Amino acid sequence: MRRIALHSLLFDRGKLAAALLGVALATTLAFVQIGLYRGFEVSSSTVIEHHGGDLWAIPTGLEVLDNAETLSVSVRNLLASHPCVRDVRALVYGFVFIRKPNGTRDNALVVGAEPRAEHVMPWALVEGNAQDLAHPLRVSVDRTDLAKLQLDNAPIGATFEVNNQRVTVAAVTQGIRSFTLMPYLFTSITNARRLMGVVEGHAHFFAVGLHQPQCAAEVQRWMAQQHDVRLVTRADWMKKTEAYWVGGSGAGLVLAFTAILGLIVGAVIVGQTLYSMTKEHLPELATLKALGATPWELAGFVLWQVSLLAVVGGGIGLAIAYILRSVMARTGLNVMLEPGTLSLGIFAAVLMCAVASIASLRTVFKVEAATVLR
Amino acid sequence: MSGGAAPLVQARNVQKTFKSGRLETQVLHDVSLQLRPGEFTLLMGPSGSGKTTLLSILSGLLRPSSGQVELCGVDISTAQDAVSARVRRRHVGFVFQSYHLFPALNALDNVAEVLVLKGIDRMQARAHAGSMLQRMGLGARLQHLPSELSGGERQRVAIARALAGNPSLIVGDEPTGALDKNTGLSVMGALREQLTPQRGVLIVTHDPRLKQFADRVLEIEDGRIVADYAHTAGVNEAYH
Repeated sequence: MRRIALHSLLFDRGKLAAALLGVALATTLAFVQIGLYRGFEVSSSTVIEHHGGDLWAIPTGLEVLDNAETLSVSVRNLLASHPCVRDVRALVYGFVFIRKPNGTRDNALVVGAEPRAEHVMPWALVEGNAQDLAHPLRVSVDRTDLAKLQLDNAPIGATFEVNNQRVTVAAVTQGIRSFTLMPYLFTSITNARRLMGVVEGHAHFFAVGLHQPQCAAEVQRWMAQQHDVRLVTRADWMKKTEAYWVGGSGAGLVLAFTAILGLIVGAVIVGQTLYSMTKEHLPELATLKALGATPWELAGFVLWQVSLLAVVGGGIGLAIAYILRSVMARTGLNVMLEPGTLSLGIFAAVLMCAVASIASLRTVFKVEAATVLR
Repeated sequence: MSGGAAPLVQARNVQKTFKSGRLETQVLHDVSLQLRPGEFTLLMGPSGSGKTTLLSILSGLLRPSSGQVELCGVDISTAQDAVSARVRRRHVGFVFQSYHLFPALNALDNVAEVLVLKGIDRMQARAHAGSMLQRMGLGARLQHLPSELSGGERQRVAIARALAGNPSLIVGDEPTGALDKNTGLSVMGALREQLTPQRGVLIVTHDPRLKQFADRVLEIEDGRIVADYAHTAGVNEAYH
């Protein structure tokens, strides 16, 4: 049955091309939308991940990283006093006004972190180095934000204003984007405090490193006595921030809706093509039935065809998605094609093809062998 | 003929009624007959007489509305589709008026795939199919698609396919209907050659010229067998 099914599919090149195009476009859409969704999730929490720490001290009631409030140095001191705590590192993070070289105003996000050997901030540096940012009022910019910041392609040494203070570009990163696409300006924690008016020792967040990760619950219980601050695990804080932006903003819903719509359109295209191919092959199917093929063997005719379409069309779709990923990366959009995304995309392609084959299978099961004699 | 052998097909009081909405049309009335191995039988009748319906029922493609049909010892009148399919696969070879070859497969694979369907290893199936097509005079056309063959060649491929797996009964529905006279006679000759003491052939036709190939003729009118007679004339002079 496999040979008959596949030869029949390859025999009509026009219909084969249409079906493959349908599967490829639908799976491309699925891969890109799911990848974008994951990309947005990751971009919303990427600073948390890279700053590290087992626990994060955050102001009580805070739902998202970006709505930062200042925590006093006493929080840091209290945390450092617990025997389970190995280190406490401050993060200054928040929105600032910038004035671009042509005088227009915009917003950006300043990030200043206390350094730690295995958590270099900023990561993905392509020009300059993190030590350069320790000099007064030095910042990094991301290459994808150069146009937005009205900087040329060699921005090192260029200046612009942040909260009415003139900063100089000392380093360039590649591909660090925020969920809101607001430019990230990384700097030293001293510079960040100065730019945002945060008192020495104070910070927006404290990342807590533990001697033993198993101590987390104990430290959290201990800090629960403090009403204005609470401790959350880094993973929970990342999830909360991701949920706020991707889920709460509706962006995730839009992306999911578009992905599902793409799959439905793909299923309709593939389904129609497959159905019309099956209808055209009814005489052969009736002949096979007359010659003694069972209904399930006849179903194999459709299933082999749809499997080929899913594998080849899905493969083409994946290749297109990889091309689109590199194209979109230049605009700062992160399409994450990690194993989880790929698995979900492949599952979506298989599901789409399975749904698309239902009408054809129904037709196959109803085919009458006696029609070959009419 | 082998009159004492067990019948290939045994039909008793077969009736067939087709329903279309409230309209019921009885196509076959109380048909009883036997087909025996070693017998080349023609089923003849005018258009609309019920001969194709009877052929469908006798070969297990349709169920009768009432009555009983045994095909190679299996009661197929009430059997499940899968059972009928297995009986057809094992015991029946079909030759159709419009060939019904698989257009995407070459002549060799058209025959071989039926053998694969019957559970034969693909390599063996292809070797066997090749030798069958050779015997049909198509040794030079093995790799040709049906669209690249003449009508007579296509029907010979169809006969080779019908013979694949060595069926007990070969059934033909107007196998010469789409062919010119000479090609038709040649195809009928090829079918006649397939008759063995263990195998029967049943051909539906309305062409009286084909009687020369038959051992037995069944005539059907308005869904009833009106004549059933032996015919011994002319096979040899038909094509020797």
